[in-house]
Amino acid sequence: MSTTEPKPHPTHRGAHMRRFAGAGLLHGTLVAVSFVLVLPFTWMVLSSFKHLSEVGVGSWLPRAMGWHPENYAEVFRQIPFGRYYWNSILIASWVTFLQAFTSSLAAFSFSRLHWPGRDKVFMLYLSTMMLPGLVMMIPNYQIMISLGLVDTMIGLVLPAAFSAFGTFLLRQFMLTIPSSLDEAAEIDGASKWRVYWEIILPLTRPGLITLAIFTFMGTYNSFFWPLVMLKSQHRYTLPIGLLYFDSTAGQETNLLMAAVTMSVAPMIIVFVCLQKYLVRGIQLGAVKG
Amino acid sequence: MGVKSKQARNLATGLAFLAPNIVGVLVFTVLPVLFSIMLAFSNWDLRRHNMFKDEALDFVGFDNFVRLVTEADFLRFLGNTLFLMMGIPFAIAGALCSALLLSKDLRAGGGRPYIWLLASAGLIVSTVLLVVSGMGGTGMVILLSGLACGVLVAGVAGGTTVYRTLFYTPHFTAGVATFLLWKKLYDPYEGPINTGLAPVLNHVSDGVNALPPVLTRSASWLCLALAALLFLWALRRLRLSWVDGDLGWAAGLVPVALLCVPGAVAQIWHHTAGRALWLGAAVAIAAAWQGARVAARGKDFDSSAMNGIGSGLVVATAAMVGQFVLVGLSALLYALPELAADGLEPPRWIHEYHWAKPSIMIMGLWGAIGSNNMLLYLAALTNVPQELYEAADIDGAGRFQRFWNVTWPQLAPTTFFITVMSMIGGLQGGFEMARTMTKGGPAGATTTLSYFIYLEGFETGRLSFASAVAWALFILVFSVTLFNWKFGNRYVND
Repeated sequence: MSTTEPKPHPTHRGAHMRRFAGAGLLHGTLVAVSFVLVLPFTWMVLSSFKHLSEVGVGSWLPRAMGWHPENYAEVFRQIPFGRYYWNSILIASWVTFLQAFTSSLAAFSFSRLHWPGRDKVFMLYLSTMMLPGLVMMIPNYQIMISLGLVDTMIGLVLPAAFSAFGTFLLRQFMLTIPSSLDEAAEIDGASKWRVYWEIILPLTRPGLITLAIFTFMGTYNSFFWPLVMLKSQHRYTLPIGLLYFDSTAGQETNLLMAAVTMSVAPMIIVFVCLQKYLVRGIQLGAVKG
Repeated sequence: MGVKSKQARNLATGLAFLAPNIVGVLVFTVLPVLFSIMLAFSNWDLRRHNMFKDEALDFVGFDNFVRLVTEADFLRFLGNTLFLMMGIPFAIAGALCSALLLSKDLRAGGGRPYIWLLASAGLIVSTVLLVVSGMGGTGMVILLSGLACGVLVAGVAGGTTVYRTLFYTPHFTAGVATFLLWKKLYDPYEGPINTGLAPVLNHVSDGVNALPPVLTRSASWLCLALAALLFLWALRRLRLSWVDGDLGWAAGLVPVALLCVPGAVAQIWHHTAGRALWLGAAVAIAAAWQGARVAARGKDFDSSAMNGIGSGLVVATAAMVGQFVLVGLSALLYALPELAADGLEPPRWIHEYHWAKPSIMIMGLWGAIGSNNMLLYLAALTNVPQELYEAADIDGAGRFQRFWNVTWPQLAPTTFFITVMSMIGGLQGGFEMARTMTKGGPAGATTTLSYFIYLEGFETGRLSFASAVAWALFILVFSVTLFNWKFGNRYVND
């Protein structure tokens, strides 16, 4: 491999060839692994274009029955798939917006304001992050029953809108912003709210974007809470709606694969477009335990 | 006076900014926690306390927790969870390998060779496609070779970013959608895995039937012997670091206990039982000899009891998993001639009791090779000081030695962090998989603790019992966190 050569001599022909071969081998290994990782997705896309009778056949490509792009339309015909898309995106957007807003306010309080007992309260915040979400599920469901929020959009958004993790992440970002900036603003007579809104928040943007992507994707993908909360079909989110094609009502694998493709595709697009922020966020410690 | 009022104003401002968040945290985190503790010590059961029937709600003390231990379910599902967590070492190794691959310079050290590489990649692609179509290859072959060639061309053109994206996609998309996809992949009759595997297995069983049985038998023995050697190697490593004072006595016993697990399991497995006994005796003698050497020579350096438990556990876990693989392979090879006589059948994966958990672990590995852990390792690799590699080169270290003596120790903090995080995640995991793929079956083989909590809390309606399970889970998670606090920093500083 090229980096393992102690001192490269570009003029030396043998070393040249060795590095060339090393890079080729490296590409070969990477292609082999990528190939295996991509195979399930390949089968998924191809099966979504098959006729139902050919799904279980050894060949991955459609045979005599031909290609069936109308499977995708059939998904929308059998279940309100567009509705599920909309529900998922709506809920994820609300959760993301509320979480970013409340977390950044709290993070500002924890990183920029000085009030008695601040660090103790922050430690309490941190300690709630250690609790498994499962501990809260059962009581939260009972709380939702007594608030009358079962099977409502608000019931899905509200418990997810307040995050100790988001507060922690944004606080870490805000601590890296030099305090001379907001001190100067305060000498000029700016209120705390203006310092937050006009100075700190714009500078926290990379952190906010990272948090927003994680929250959005996490909510888009969330399963447990929507599963127990949602009763009526027109409120289903995508993960719940997908279960239809795997139930006794529908065992049509080709339609299921079309639906799965349509729910995975946006995630891949989001990742390809925003991977710069994602990779940096993860490497800065934005991994939820 | 002035100071006091200023402080009060500060407090008011601070709390005002905190208010929107803290109200939510209080209502949806703190209140549920208190409620959940109350539940765990009472007997709230939706079958007895509902709108038609309202029996008195009693506080029952620790009854729910006692039932965790006395009723078989909890312990069994805890065992399932721990079994599935044995995939974690493989996942970490996969993440490390992919990070090492992706951290290499793909450009062959400059511009001109890279153009050549690009050209040859294009040449390979066109040749393969020509050959495949010219030789009348089936659509499948053309498709798959085309896919591989496409990945190569994209990789050459786009470099590391393309490969990283491909590696990371399975992890990023993980959720109900990909679980449903894998359920169909694993389908015993219609899934692509078994339709692809069946012809291969036919060839294999033909081949095995042609072999003399003594060959597979001796291969089976060889695997057992290798497992024993692995045990001794790990024991020796532990002994050496104990003698050097890197490992305290209490921190040494836990890894040794872990090392003994595969041997003990081999004793109860049908195909390895008798033979493992013989090897076990031999290993015991060797281990006793090692112990005697330690006793005779004594310890060179003193260290506290729990010193170095992190690295000891890493060595022991790696060796334990390796032993399990070898013992399993041995059992398989031993049984192979009998199985092949009737023709080999592909397993029924998630629908078969003994295959369900390995199937889930294979699927987990697919998502874990290019995970967040890979990205963490990539970041850590760029932080390894280049001087260390230069020093290793001057000492004439080979490629493996460079890795083992420079890279691996430098990555130790990352590995520790990833291990702790994976364990915390693994203890809580498995709900989505169980709900969408297996319904916890067959016969409860894939019911993890999180799915158990869901079943008890939302299907059966035993809210109090479910809460007790959730708190037991919390205690497990918390002990891993405590372990992290106590030993994480020390290990990082080593």
